Amino acid sequence: MATLSLQHLDKIYDNNVQAVYDFNMEVKDGEFIVLVGPSGCGKSTTLRMVAGLEDISKGKLLLDGKDITAAPPKDRDMAMVFQSYALYGHMTIYENMAFSLTLRKEDPNVIHKKVLAAAEILDLTSQLNKKPSQLSGGQRQRVAMGRSIVRNPKLFLFDEPLSNLDAKLRGSTRREILLLHKRLKATMLYVTHDQTEALTLADRIVCMSMGHVQQIGTPLELYDDPANVFVASFIGLPPMNFFDVQVAGDKLQHPRFCCILNEEQKHLLAGYNGKTITLGVRPEDIAEGGAVPVTVTTNENLGMNTLVHGHLGDSGAEGRITCKFRSWCDYKAGDVVKVCFNRMHFFDKETTNAIRKEGK
Amino acid sequence: MKSVDIDLNDSAYVRADRMRYEKNRLSSNLAILSIVLNGLFFISIYKSNAGTYYYNLLMGASIVYNMLFMLVVFLVSEGSKSYHITYSYIAIAVGILQFARIAVFPMRAHNAEVVVQDVSVKVMEDGQFFRVLVYLIGSGVCLLASAVIGIMRANTLSAHLRSLESR
Repeated sequence: MATLSLQHLDKIYDNNVQAVYDFNMEVKDGEFIVLVGPSGCGKSTTLRMVAGLEDISKGKLLLDGKDITAAPPKDRDMAMVFQSYALYGHMTIYENMAFSLTLRKEDPNVIHKKVLAAAEILDLTSQLNKKPSQLSGGQRQRVAMGRSIVRNPKLFLFDEPLSNLDAKLRGSTRREILLLHKRLKATMLYVTHDQTEALTLADRIVCMSMGHVQQIGTPLELYDDPANVFVASFIGLPPMNFFDVQVAGDKLQHPRFCCILNEEQKHLLAGYNGKTITLGVRPEDIAEGGAVPVTVTTNENLGMNTLVHGHLGDSGAEGRITCKFRSWCDYKAGDVVKVCFNRMHFFDKETTNAIRKEGK
Repeated sequence: MKSVDIDLNDSAYVRADRMRYEKNRLSSNLAILSIVLNGLFFISIYKSNAGTYYYNLLMGASIVYNMLFMLVVFLVSEGSKSYHITYSYIAIAVGILQFARIAVFPMRAHNAEVVVQDVSVKVMEDGQFFRVLVYLIGSGVCLLASAVIGIMRANTLSAHLRSLESR
């Protein structure tokens, strides 16, 4: 159990490419933090800096208040789980899990106790005599986690551990990781590009893009109150729809539709009167019945929901829209559906930041 | 295999339980060491002061036996790694044969003399004889030790497994 403090971390490679800019975060004891973002956003680099696998160019890293910025990985008391499992193929599961403790020359009886306890937690007891090649991907990843658990580290680091698994296995292993966190109550740092993993696992999410932290918050905060257009478009599936609209008094004007603002929204957009802003609407916040005409291009039935893709008026990238209706729909290409927006998000067109109430 | 609660204070019990997952490396490594020593014997035994004057059928048989020995003991090494008691019994038999071999080739060669150009020559000098003796004895001792440890551990493990099943 540990607290971690990342203070103004920068990562600049030898070729002057900067991968991480001014990363600041306080991780509380027992917290599950998920770093999420597209490929190349710096999330894995940040994790590797925490693990000591990458040098920290600038900034400080404190573990339980102790400066470990320059400490070698072996002295950091952290365990890392990799995407590729990194298991030894010639060793049994038992030997793989015991390996790090054997290297530390711990008492074999103590190692045995720890390995059996970890295997029990991960439901691997019956697999201990097998080789990694005899296990499924999910089981192998559980072994990789078991290898971390036996060390009883202060901090667990996960680098896209579920990326090698198929969709079904990913779901079940994700739930196992969640149960593991609840059981161990350990501090965990988890990197993924999958927003579903981020939303379901995290106590707090760090959303990154191009080396910059875009927003740190609870899953609900990121979904419900995204800090900018990037976070709004990255979190949520299907992604949020965006339209350029003009604020005209108590209305939002778009070439294809017009929205009436309520008092709160009017107050919020008071400073933008006459200006163009970005309107964001989540597909699930769009409902049938209203004044906004959508020309259907494709209709995807998902059982309990239907995704209707289309465009506003004439076709064009600007007016593309995706709606998620909570019913079974059978729209054909070319049908026109009238919809309304139940909830709207507003973003500054220039800065792309969310337009929020003062002081928020 | 079902999971069990381990009492760390009962070190004998934990040691036995570890055998469920750990290989019998000591027995296996002793068998490998036996092969190495036999290999050294194999290399050293055919050096002769009498040149080619001491060729006989026994030499061919000895070469074949050495190769068979290495194959069998390698199998013993693998088998004893997994606590198979049968391989330990094979190790005992082959180990005893290593001692018996002393009387066959090194001893005969050591005692043999051949006349080369009217000069009597000892086929094997004392130094060479004692060296190959050490290799053979060492190889036999390693095999017997491997077998004894293998039998003890295999019995301990099977007793432990029986106690687990009876729970």
